[in-house]
Amino acid sequence: MTELKHYFAPTSLDQAVECLKDGDVTILAGGTDLTPQSQAGRLKIKHTLMNIRHIPQLSGITLEGKEIRIGTLTTITEIMQHPLIRQHLPVLADACDHFASDQIRNAATLGGNICNASPAGDTLIPLLVLDASVELASMPEAKLYRHSMPLSTFFVGPGKTRRSLCELVTCIRIPLPAEGHVARFHKLGTRPALDISTISIGIAGTLKAGILSNVRVAFGAVAPTPVRASQTEKALEGQRLDAATIEKAAEVAHNEVKPIDDVRASAWYRKEMIHNITKRILSHVAQA
Amino acid sequence: MSVAEKKPRVIELDSLIGKRIPKMDAPEKASGRTRYIHDINLSGQLHGKILRSERIHALIKSIDTSAAKELPGVHVVITAADIPDQRPIGVARDHFPLKVGRVRSERDEIAAVAAETEEIAEAALKLIKVVYEDLPVISNPEDAIKPGAALIHPEPHGADGSHEHLKQGTTIAHKGKPDNVAMTFDYAHGDVVRGEAESDVVIEDTFKLHYVTHCCMGVSGMIAEFDASGNLLMYSNTQVPFLHKREFAEYLNMDPARIRIIQPPIGGGFGSKLDIYPFEVICLYLARAAKRPIKMLFTREEEFLASPTRQPVLLTLRSGCKKDGTLTFRQVHTLHDNGAYTSWGATTPFVMMQTFSSLYRVPHCDYHTAAVYTNNPYAGSFRGYGNLQATFAIEQHMDMLAEKIGMDPLAFRLKNAQDSGETTGQGMVFKSCGFKDCLTTAATRSDYTRKFKENAANRSKPGNIKRGVGMASMLHVGGGAKIYPSDGCGTILKMDDFANVTLITGASEIGQGSETVLSQLVCEELGLPISAITVVNNDTAITPWDVGVHASRTTFIAGNSAIGAAKKAKTKILAVAAKKYDCAESDLDLRGGFVIRAGSGEVVVELSKLLRNLHFQDKAELVMTTFYYEPPSVHQDKGFKGNVSAAYAWGTQVVEVEVDTDTGTVRMTKVTGAHDVGRVLNRLGIEGQIEGGVVMGQGYALTEDLMIENGVMKNPNFRDYKLVTAPEIPEMDISFIESMDGEGPQGAKGVGEAPSICIAAATANAIANATGVRMFELPFTPERVYRTLHGRTPKLYWKPWRAEQ
Repeated sequence: MTELKHYFAPTSLDQAVECLKDGDVTILAGGTDLTPQSQAGRLKIKHTLMNIRHIPQLSGITLEGKEIRIGTLTTITEIMQHPLIRQHLPVLADACDHFASDQIRNAATLGGNICNASPAGDTLIPLLVLDASVELASMPEAKLYRHSMPLSTFFVGPGKTRRSLCELVTCIRIPLPAEGHVARFHKLGTRPALDISTISIGIAGTLKAGILSNVRVAFGAVAPTPVRASQTEKALEGQRLDAATIEKAAEVAHNEVKPIDDVRASAWYRKEMIHNITKRILSHVAQA
Repeated sequence: MSVAEKKPRVIELDSLIGKRIPKMDAPEKASGRTRYIHDINLSGQLHGKILRSERIHALIKSIDTSAAKELPGVHVVITAADIPDQRPIGVARDHFPLKVGRVRSERDEIAAVAAETEEIAEAALKLIKVVYEDLPVISNPEDAIKPGAALIHPEPHGADGSHEHLKQGTTIAHKGKPDNVAMTFDYAHGDVVRGEAESDVVIEDTFKLHYVTHCCMGVSGMIAEFDASGNLLMYSNTQVPFLHKREFAEYLNMDPARIRIIQPPIGGGFGSKLDIYPFEVICLYLARAAKRPIKMLFTREEEFLASPTRQPVLLTLRSGCKKDGTLTFRQVHTLHDNGAYTSWGATTPFVMMQTFSSLYRVPHCDYHTAAVYTNNPYAGSFRGYGNLQATFAIEQHMDMLAEKIGMDPLAFRLKNAQDSGETTGQGMVFKSCGFKDCLTTAATRSDYTRKFKENAANRSKPGNIKRGVGMASMLHVGGGAKIYPSDGCGTILKMDDFANVTLITGASEIGQGSETVLSQLVCEELGLPISAITVVNNDTAITPWDVGVHASRTTFIAGNSAIGAAKKAKTKILAVAAKKYDCAESDLDLRGGFVIRAGSGEVVVELSKLLRNLHFQDKAELVMTTFYYEPPSVHQDKGFKGNVSAAYAWGTQVVEVEVDTDTGTVRMTKVTGAHDVGRVLNRLGIEGQIEGGVVMGQGYALTEDLMIENGVMKNPNFRDYKLVTAPEIPEMDISFIESMDGEGPQGAKGVGEAPSICIAAATANAIANATGVRMFELPFTPERVYRTLHGRTPKLYWKPWRAEQ
């Protein structure tokens, strides 16, 4: 009794974006969010279900100049195990190690995690602090058109992004971190894995002679989208990571977030945890 | 066997008891071959689905099923109006399967559809239009007992204001209730006033126990079919086929003899299949109306919404002791949230009062429960049956009293622990009792006393990780429980001409491993390898009567029954052999598939050969025996006193935790358990059962929480209802205390429920040891622990309240 009328499995990017032109298409990648959401009636499959898994250009992790490109179809397991990620972006591998279960990691894709746009999405926080950008492809005329936007501007609300209905996320690009780059991710939940975050925190920056610069702080599950925390970043930028700075940054973080109460935690507890975990991460960085 | 052997062959003495024997159903289950109810399809079957209420508490003004009936592929749509002979079901008969005029909770059944496919049935449900008129929702049991509270089961009044329940003996479903009190329990021994007067220390606290549910891997389901003669065949996951046969007959107004229940392998029971639920009766209504087999399976969400829960309890406990550590009295008041209807959860006081009255020697005990109606989910039976709740309160008070009088918690417990030979205030007789062994074994193996002192001393040291150790003990029935007129089990045993045994037992296998244990007991008696046995245990048309799987009774009761049948077979075989080989029966024995000389082990004859001779002679005979075992327990009197079980199980568990004071996260690092199990029969099976029980207790303590807000379940899914997963399972060190119960099969006692009972209580004690802060409310989620550590949890207090008699 499904509403599905048409199933399409393109083998090239051109075919895929052409199919997206009329906008009445649901995109299937790993299916780990799509399947439960559609079965629970929270998401309606549109006229066409397009399976993009047969498009080779959308997979794989490569070093392109000073950027690491991760194809939209790359699975969480592949990211977690890939030598380039482990060498250059260990914080992303770490987040993947807290992502759902092995079975889900084997199927779930990075593009899917991004387009699902959950405020608690596990890869989104490290990607935000790594200055990732999203590449989108479309076919406004007869020709393939690509453009990029920073991930920090991509999310609009829970499940909502700035991707238009006729666009396909093709890859994520992450600049190679500079010398002295440090990055940490922490996910807090009831269980160590297979859990939706109560809160998650990502912190990155360049640590030179004890001074932290280019600071990036992002929080998950405290707002309608994963968010960058600009005030906390400011409190840390150019500072030496001593006890006073750490406490001040944790205070700023605590005041900066405006979470809600839900089945996983109260807003009060989330704010407390933003404070305590921010402090913990920064202390670890300072001691490392 | 070899005929060339000249020397007399000797069979060495061996035993199956205490060995590690893989469960007989394991290869099928592990390889995915087991056919659960979900895998069974009958020719011509239709699929049944239920429309549940969109409101929590409301009058049903109208139901329009016309559009659903017109949907192609739909065979039958029924509502209460279509079942004029509908009878109330449940423990208090307060519950119509299809709701009449009123819905009282989120899970309430309004209509049902039988259709060609599940999808069509689902689509038909969406076409049914129901008009409701909302009523006030009572979601807190404390509100339910306030004067003037809205009534969940009001007395029906006619247009002229007169009561409409004139018939005598009518049930709550018909006559209603003048208040929201579903059931009350009052028990006492001694004189608590005197006990309190003799006390040097008295403490009183309120404890709050939450909703959890069984989370069986296999969701609920039934397939029902009436044959051309009107006989009913059910494929059902019930734990109590014989009692339910009779109960279904009552609900359908038919002869129980025409009902046959076949139990396919069950994907988990844990007590959840102890009652009859509306979906089962509705499935039968559909089968009757459609004249086709009906298959009805729950979705996972439905399993959460419409399955029973563990009994939530608000409990105020007042306890006292003397300075020398002697317990003086206990006074207990509980408020049970009955939910909208009455199932077995309301009767958990049967077990709870045993723990209060008899786990420790306490001269004065006073116990009161009121189970009250609310618009919440209703609670059923769940492994431990109230004992987790009672133990949670009592074992925290044991630590708190010990602290007040400056006594070591272990020494305090040992001073008050029961011993064998005692008869408690409640009339329970402890013939075998390994409680003190359990306490000392668990404490020694975990190095409890040293850690307890060190942890307390470390509390004020810097660092966010605090270690704690806590202990709790339990008493539970281990030799059945005489609740029904009989607590027995029947066995039929048949041997074939190859000396293979078929054991036909009334006892159901629900994953607990009973099939394997019963096989061991029979093979031990008959000197046969475990491969020589087939078990038939799932068809009421074949198996002899049994009261059902509950109260940790199967090994004890069905085990004794199986041994009884095997002994009769052995007697018959040895008599035949003695005659044939001209010796005394007592000179012979059975071992390794042979009749042997009892003293030397020398082979007399191959058992299969002897059986063939017996069978194919002029006066042919077969070896077939029957046995019915009724335990020597008694029914409780009206004051709940009496020796209700033939044996009692004991256990102590020591839990170690690490509390992260920055987050409130509690990590359970180790559980050291010592269990008086009478005797270990299948070591592999009992280890599995204990480990599984510990994890179930861990979920109850730390992560599982069925959240109900204004009668609405907030998390009917495994994403937000958090079961413990593999990485969180603690290290376990399990010891068995073998007290060799005189009445038990080979000395064994029941252990099925025991391992989950102490974990939450011991965890609370461990958190208190780690942090100095006591937790009175479950579960110990990071947020609750963090709040409590930061003084943001107001002290719970429920003023003891008793329903008017």
